[in-house]
Amino acid sequence: MSKYALQDGSGIANNSQSSLMIRALRVEILVVAALMPLQGIAAAAMAENNQTAYYWKATEASESAQLLTLFCKSCSVNRSDVPLVAVLRDRLAANDRDGVTNDRLTDVWLLSYSPLTLYGRLLGAVPFFYWRVGQGSSSVPRNSLKPFMDLTAPEHPVVSGVGRDLLQTMMLDTTFMPIRASSRAYRSNEVDRERRHLEVVISYLRAAPTGEEANEITNAQRDFLLARLELRKRLLGGLVADRDARRVGEEAGFEQERVRSRNWESLRECAEKTGLSFEPINVAGIQGQYALLWFSPTGSKPQGNDLGPMWKVLNLRNPWTDNRLRNWKGPYKVLDDGSGAHGETLIPLGVYSLNYPLTPLLLVDFRDNLHLRKYEMAQRTINEIVSGVIGLSHFTNWYFYAGAFAYDFVVARHGTATNQGERLDSYSSFRTALALDHSLDPKLRSEMERRMDSIAVNPLDGSPAREVELAQSRFQVLEEEAKNGKLAQHVDEQRRAELAGYGRGHGSEVFQVLLHAGSFGLYTKRAKPDADNLEALRRNRQMEANLELLDRLTESGGRPELVFDSLRIQNSVKELASSLSYATERGIRAHAERTLKRLQVATQDASVQQECGSALNLISPKEMNIAASVRAAAPLHSIPTVK
Amino acid sequence: MSGSSVNVHNRLAPGGATVGAFARSSEPPRRLVHSSVNAHNRLAPGGATVGAFARSSEPPRRLVRSFLFLSICLVILCGGFTPARAADISPSPKLRIFIVKVDGLNADLLFQAMDQLDRESGKSTLPWISHIFRDNGVVFRNFYTRGVSLSAPSWSMLDTGHHTVIRGNVEYDRYTGYVYDYLNFFPFYIGNARQHREDMPGVQVLDRAGIPLLIDAYAYPEVFQSFQLFQRGIHWSTLERILGTHLLSKSLSSILENGGAPSASELLAEQTEKDLIATMQMPEVLYLDYYNGDIDHEGHATNQPEALVDKLKRLDAFVGRIWAATQATRATSPSILVMISDHGMNNVPKVFSQGFSLPDLLSSPQGGGHHVVTNRYQLSDYKLKGLNPLVQRVITPSTASPYLAGESSRYPTAWLDLDGNERASLHLRNSDVNKIHILLLQLSGTQLNPIARRAATKGVLAIIERHRAEWSSECDELSAEVGALEQAIRQRQNDIGQQPNKWTKEQIVRGERVKARQLANQLQDWQHERSAYRSYLDHVRALLNLKIDPERPFTRKVSDFVAELSLGDSNTLRQLEHYVVGLSGDGVVIDEHGALDEERSFRYVNYFALLSSQRVRNNPQPALPPQPIDFVVLPLPSNSVRDARQAYWVSADEDNQLLVLVNDRCDLTVRPIRRLRQDANGLVSFESQPWRAGLPLHLFEDEKLQVPPGSNRAEWLSAWHSEQEWLRATHECFYSNAVIGIPEQFSPVGDNVPGVPGEPPLLLRYERHRRELVRPDIQIFASDHWNFNARNFNPGGNHGAFFRISTHSVWMMAGQGIPVKTITEPNDSLNFASTILKLVGKNVPLPDRVVDLQ
Repeated sequence: MSKYALQDGSGIANNSQSSLMIRALRVEILVVAALMPLQGIAAAAMAENNQTAYYWKATEASESAQLLTLFCKSCSVNRSDVPLVAVLRDRLAANDRDGVTNDRLTDVWLLSYSPLTLYGRLLGAVPFFYWRVGQGSSSVPRNSLKPFMDLTAPEHPVVSGVGRDLLQTMMLDTTFMPIRASSRAYRSNEVDRERRHLEVVISYLRAAPTGEEANEITNAQRDFLLARLELRKRLLGGLVADRDARRVGEEAGFEQERVRSRNWESLRECAEKTGLSFEPINVAGIQGQYALLWFSPTGSKPQGNDLGPMWKVLNLRNPWTDNRLRNWKGPYKVLDDGSGAHGETLIPLGVYSLNYPLTPLLLVDFRDNLHLRKYEMAQRTINEIVSGVIGLSHFTNWYFYAGAFAYDFVVARHGTATNQGERLDSYSSFRTALALDHSLDPKLRSEMERRMDSIAVNPLDGSPAREVELAQSRFQVLEEEAKNGKLAQHVDEQRRAELAGYGRGHGSEVFQVLLHAGSFGLYTKRAKPDADNLEALRRNRQMEANLELLDRLTESGGRPELVFDSLRIQNSVKELASSLSYATERGIRAHAERTLKRLQVATQDASVQQECGSALNLISPKEMNIAASVRAAAPLHSIPTVK
Repeated sequence: MSGSSVNVHNRLAPGGATVGAFARSSEPPRRLVHSSVNAHNRLAPGGATVGAFARSSEPPRRLVRSFLFLSICLVILCGGFTPARAADISPSPKLRIFIVKVDGLNADLLFQAMDQLDRESGKSTLPWISHIFRDNGVVFRNFYTRGVSLSAPSWSMLDTGHHTVIRGNVEYDRYTGYVYDYLNFFPFYIGNARQHREDMPGVQVLDRAGIPLLIDAYAYPEVFQSFQLFQRGIHWSTLERILGTHLLSKSLSSILENGGAPSASELLAEQTEKDLIATMQMPEVLYLDYYNGDIDHEGHATNQPEALVDKLKRLDAFVGRIWAATQATRATSPSILVMISDHGMNNVPKVFSQGFSLPDLLSSPQGGGHHVVTNRYQLSDYKLKGLNPLVQRVITPSTASPYLAGESSRYPTAWLDLDGNERASLHLRNSDVNKIHILLLQLSGTQLNPIARRAATKGVLAIIERHRAEWSSECDELSAEVGALEQAIRQRQNDIGQQPNKWTKEQIVRGERVKARQLANQLQDWQHERSAYRSYLDHVRALLNLKIDPERPFTRKVSDFVAELSLGDSNTLRQLEHYVVGLSGDGVVIDEHGALDEERSFRYVNYFALLSSQRVRNNPQPALPPQPIDFVVLPLPSNSVRDARQAYWVSADEDNQLLVLVNDRCDLTVRPIRRLRQDANGLVSFESQPWRAGLPLHLFEDEKLQVPPGSNRAEWLSAWHSEQEWLRATHECFYSNAVIGIPEQFSPVGDNVPGVPGEPPLLLRYERHRRELVRPDIQIFASDHWNFNARNFNPGGNHGAFFRISTHSVWMMAGQGIPVKTITEPNDSLNFASTILKLVGKNVPLPDRVVDLQ
């Protein structure tokens, strides 16, 4: 059990300097502890368990689509639940075959996403302006809420992003310096803002529960979502196919856990070497992603090793020689060992994110409010001078960037966090988590918030607290859209676009994407509204799912029936054959034919071979008439599935 | 086969007449050379030129120069393959063996995944492994690492079927400071590319000990060996194929598949698999293996079950493809598919493994202020130098060194093998050498008064006198051995002198140039050793002849008498309890007789008390005990305990100790004791105590201990039993086979060196002597979920200790003639190679270790 106190006038003396001061301090702490029985970290951790609840709420958007909203329980200032992220799920081909659903996630809304204000936009284009002005927009659109990410067309941001980069490089950079500098400043702030929001969604989703219930997203769906969000950070990430995306999400999750584990242990060992105390903290129910380092003025200084590299890694000034700690006015805690004797006094030195690759990242320096801000500003200033003012190009001035890369590599090896994007991710997650948290000691939390606010250097950003406040209003708009049919209409448009793109060749697909980008998103090719659209789409989706499964089985080598239940393979072949009887696209039929032939050769199961044979007969061009008769005889919904 | 065996050893016979024949790897019959080249040509899509290089292990120079850097990056992550050197072809049945070697795969994790049903497929999560081994083969449910659960010792036993002569992942020669770094591939690859190294260090040690590898039972063209710890040669053509044909296309497809660049290890694994499957089309290839280190790496990095199962699924798919290939070729090449792992992994979900820094402890004032040697940079230092892949010795200076400040590069006095995570080996400089060093430094200065100077002078000479007989004898023995080495060097120089200066293409294809290079490599090693041991001997002789003027400051260089980067003799137990780390605060103290008062003149550390008293400040996980050190183990001098040929002391603290005893029949027993001491005369004393809970290994209270029905636990534990009886009784306990593992790990290593047949006795003694010189002073074992790793953070899990979770390994077989069976009788590493060699009709190293599968 520990106790906190925020001091106003008194300080903590270093033991080596004055034992009298320590005694005086202890008396003071006792008084403060008695007068201000504040919540400690341990108590906070216990309380936190009650705050871990993130949950999904489902709202039907149409007969075959639902809006899933992730809530954080008791996270608002008045302890009500806060909606964080909403996901639209298209359940048209929801075929719960052996636990595998073909649901599609189509859109993501970040409910704390606030639109840019004109004022913010103007300031965002001012070079070397590194202050957030105001709390951000407080407006909530009354009609329609634009999705944060359209998962059905991940390639669109790639094209627009590349287009903007080309515009910047080929046109704006070649004009006057003020235009180049301000356009680069704006673009940089805009990219950072988007990345911040992406990271916020990612961190929410990582904390979100998964399950097989109708009002939850499955683990696979969460992996897919995370993958799409992570890939959005990469230049060509939107070009990754859906079938590979889930794998990317899964691996990103594994990697994040590797990084977190490593940083956890790294920080603990650093603390051990330097004589500090390490304490993992849970913020807003997010467990084990942040940690605090404490310093005991009465502790013994470690000897025998050169601790210089350690302080570099920790990004802290050596507290054992820091005079500020002799007269400490910030928060501290007193350890109570239960014996009744007065325990050790601990001063917080820093809060770290454990999610930054390579090293733990300092988020809050309790001794120096400007420490991190100065670093961030320096980094941005250098970038703006190099690319905005001087206008160095990666192509013509490659030697400068090679040198910069080498420098970054060297300082990163010595523990400096050089990756600006990853730093931004960590700041964003922590800032948002703090806004939702009610488990930490309020005074400590507000101290952290104050210091985190000081690192906000993007004029386009809003205040996390304001964003959380408005999330409920945005959710209401979205819920209203679900009820009044706007979301259903949106789903229908997406489905018709999907239907129009079915069987399209690569060239045609690229052309459509370029048309969409060229029309600034106004033009999208869609199938005409038709009563048969839904049935056709359902068939297409099932055919795709079956083809994907059978491809996977044949690519694995060996006999498919050894790795997959034979009856399920047969059903898949049957369904594929049935769907194909409607498909006229030559490419798809050829693909299916190849797959079925490979399967027929690979399997030694007579039933599967027979099914493949039957299916191949059906899709053979000369058998088209037979296929049509089969279509009439065996409607899709009559195909048996294994439960 | 006997001929084969003789040849195997002839290669290493130094200086003898048979050396010229050179080899197990020596010239295969012409017919086989052709076969080899042809065989490879089929593998290499690039054409005949590639094929000509491929199996010869000759790096094409131009290629090596061009791609060296990239190659190394790729190779270190996964691996190419290499053919083994040839033995004479035996008329063995054409049964092919394919061994899938998986580093660090815990058997429980694998069995659990095999039993788990995948919802989507309706089959096991690992459908191939389950189908092949569980449904159609033999599964050893209780297979354990013998000795410590470390890769180098464990693979050495699995790959040879012999008791291990390699006792750690890194070893140090106490006299010369030579580092045996068994896990570092970079020096090997670079050495191979520069034609300086043909085999991995572990293979060289085994060769010189006269212990053949499993692949040595096969002829040259019969073997396809992938990248691994005990590797002979390098197959550069695998890299060539990746670089030449796949890199660009894979990079592009990887960007579209996952938005990033392809992983080098994946590329190499993929190419190696292709090469393996292509080689399986050749009926003359009878041995293939594939080494997978992914699961070990993942287990160290993370404790997420999903991530580990993901790696297992990839392994499963690989095994499935290999199985399909064996089935496709079974008409011409009936095969046995084997899966084996060297050790388990103490990887538990939601529990991080925490590191405890022994270098920090040893460099601190209470630890003795040692400058500490490790074989890698500590990652926590985040140094640029840490990227140097060729580093083998790193010295971490202490800022609290009491008498060697600024001398860290010359006199590091604590050498640590931390490469083993749950266990560390500690070598300390001989305590009496420390005394001599301290006193000589004092005598070199002017601060001593005449009385103290005389006393210190006498003190130095007295210490030397105490060791005179022992050091003289050691000098004589080692000199004789170095003399024999000198003879072998001359002989080898003659042999090499007769080698042609230029090699014809035919000779190169026949591998003669490679063989000549191996001879030259060994000669180089011998020459280095000769000069290193001579230098050490010179220092000892200088000490024995030391004369000091007690009236004047000592003016000669201390380094002429105290060897740099050398530890001297091993410390006795008494010395470790009473280890000199510096001059006392009182300086040189004189007793009432005017002599040096050694007790009061020096500051001492009791390392057993120090280690057992360690606690950490930061232990945020309640699942972990506060003390990071579980126990230490030391072998006691022979016959120091009645009825026991060998005795091993296991000490958690003063009151919790065990003796593991081995008698002449090789039976074992365990005795609970307390307060073990060694007096100045070397006599060991201790107090017996009854069995109770809380002793090291926790056998008495372990619910899984299976003593025969009706037996009293205490009586059973204190009685003599055979190894197998101990294994049956304890294998399910928390410490599984520690009682057997301790003698395996700590027995005199020289006894396990059979030597190369025909080797001159003095040279054999020299080899045994060299092996004994790597013996550490103390082996330290970590508590559950603690580790000593300093070069990397391993929060996922670790291995190295005797915990069941760390030792429980995998052994499964399927294929031609293998019954469908689950074997529950416990076995250990020594059973593997003998059983495999028996199955394929080869000579068996330990016939009593063959497992009867029927």
